Amino acid sequence: MAKKKVDIKKLARDFWHGKPHGERRLGELYEDKTGLYKHREWRGVKDTLYYFYMIWLYNYIFMVKDIMEMGGPINFAKGVWRYRWVGQTYLPVLHWFDRGMEGMRGETLRASAWHYRGMVNETIRQFQRMFVADTKLHGGKKTDAWYHTMAHNETVWGGIFYPWSDHFDNVAMEMIPYFVTCHVNCHTVLNYIDAVQSIGLPGDPCPMCQAESGLFVLDDMPDYAPFIITSNEACDASVATSILQDWFYDKPLFAMPQPMQFDDPLVQKHCRREIEECWKFIEEQTGVPFNWDQLVKKLRQQNQLQEFEREKWEVAAKTPYYPINGVAQALYRIYYSQDGDRPIWHFCDKKVRKILEKCVSKKINTFPKTRHRVIAWSCAPLYYSHWCTWAYNCWGLNVIINMDSLMFDMSIRTDTYDHCLDDMATYHMWAPMRRMAVGGMHHIFELWENMEKFNCDFVMMYDQLQCKGMQGVHGHFEDEFRSRNIPAVWMPHALPDSRTVSRAEIRRIINDYMTTVMHEEPLDPSLLDFDDSMGW
Amino acid sequence: MKKRKCCKCSLGRKLGRLVLKLLGLALLANAALFAVFFFDLDGKLLFNVVEPLLKKHYDNMDRKDTLKAPYDMDKYPSYEYDV
Repeated sequence: MAKKKVDIKKLARDFWHGKPHGERRLGELYEDKTGLYKHREWRGVKDTLYYFYMIWLYNYIFMVKDIMEMGGPINFAKGVWRYRWVGQTYLPVLHWFDRGMEGMRGETLRASAWHYRGMVNETIRQFQRMFVADTKLHGGKKTDAWYHTMAHNETVWGGIFYPWSDHFDNVAMEMIPYFVTCHVNCHTVLNYIDAVQSIGLPGDPCPMCQAESGLFVLDDMPDYAPFIITSNEACDASVATSILQDWFYDKPLFAMPQPMQFDDPLVQKHCRREIEECWKFIEEQTGVPFNWDQLVKKLRQQNQLQEFEREKWEVAAKTPYYPINGVAQALYRIYYSQDGDRPIWHFCDKKVRKILEKCVSKKINTFPKTRHRVIAWSCAPLYYSHWCTWAYNCWGLNVIINMDSLMFDMSIRTDTYDHCLDDMATYHMWAPMRRMAVGGMHHIFELWENMEKFNCDFVMMYDQLQCKGMQGVHGHFEDEFRSRNIPAVWMPHALPDSRTVSRAEIRRIINDYMTTVMHEEPLDPSLLDFDDSMGW
Repeated sequence: MKKRKCCKCSLGRKLGRLVLKLLGLALLANAALFAVFFFDLDGKLLFNVVEPLLKKHYDNMDRKDTLKAPYDMDKYPSYEYDV
């Protein structure tokens, strides 16, 4: 039997530069079922060392630094011991980086990792603030931090609280205990979904609302603020969440629902009035008057973030030099646009700007194996937000933009109080899962103009099985896809609940479409089918 | 004839050895950390040891029965503003 000839030159080249796309066989790196790596990917000397020092080690070190600076290790340890959602979820955070950045190289790896760093820092700020203020961790004592923190639903935009941001901090109730956990460790949230069903709630309402209520049923919410601001989170199921939150939290509550109809001057007027009423409520609860100058200062800073976002979109739409992958783009954008202005976003944007400018000036093709430029529409599966990374590595499907990123495309005017309030009302009405998901046909069908604008030729259509809003327009999309001759894949999922449609099932649906409809061959066949059912 | 020891040289040698030792230690730490990183030992430790222990702890925690809390709908005044 002839011996297989070893190509030393190729081995050396693979060691130095990493294997080229198509020869990587990334699926063989996984341990069966757990999704853990037999070993992490060798990306070539430069990128492996970058990943090791500037992503893995850097983020571990800065996570510790963030914890020391924002509340200290004792509050953190107490929080981990008391709350499942932090202990079970946030310790393996570096694996979340791994999943999002598999196969990435060069500037793409760097820019995407800065987005993740921003989210980690802001996540630590939020849970540490909760723990510092939490009466449950301090023997029932209401600390100064408790009196100076405002609690609200995650879809109440952080900008509502800007007028008090020089003296108070605001933390969304569910952004960290629910939303971010699903991305980092998809198993944690299942405890909360089951908890609320165990008290008699049927299983078919939106699992997001179920999980958010379940946190309260299991008494797993910190008591960190004297009052709360709720919204309907733009759907009826969430109204029920607010009722349960009102019951279990038992605090003064101001309800500021997003109107179910908008694009209407009368509704706009109503919404303006509600924001002003909310401000009055905060004034009454805190005893601190509304600060217009502080509001303007923060809004202008937030507008800077939006301006840079538009620059990023410009590069993404018109060139192949955009260095941010689909999952980093989507999560970072929805995180900061809902959370509001924080110093970490400016810090990360500065880093990303440098990388972006380098890519454009040197004409670096950041996703060279792109076969299709994809736009992802509707609400994504939280437990598989990194499907975009898999889809690029396996099929060359490059997600350029997504619906959630485009929702808050607006700068808020600060020249007069009237203009400012008008724009803030619009921003509030364009809540997540609202404008382009259940916000009427005009907005839902903004897909077509964005597809053209971002030069996309392929649609990944998310199908949240338990969202009654989007199910009503399923047929309209089917008709449009056919008449416009657009390749589109429906991706069923149940938002945070990975049991309804598994990650493997999502991959199978995409694989089937790519082979039977598109007649394409995978770039990395080892990624077609693998079992990560127990993976984070 | 015996040579006299030069204080400066001896101090220099000591410093040199210390620097070498520190460099060696740093290299060793780097290599150990790289092994943890490359073989995903952090992930394996968290998945196989830390998470199961924490889950066991959370599963066995005493929790308040929140359903027993009364729903005090009239506890706080209704908020009516004339904006």
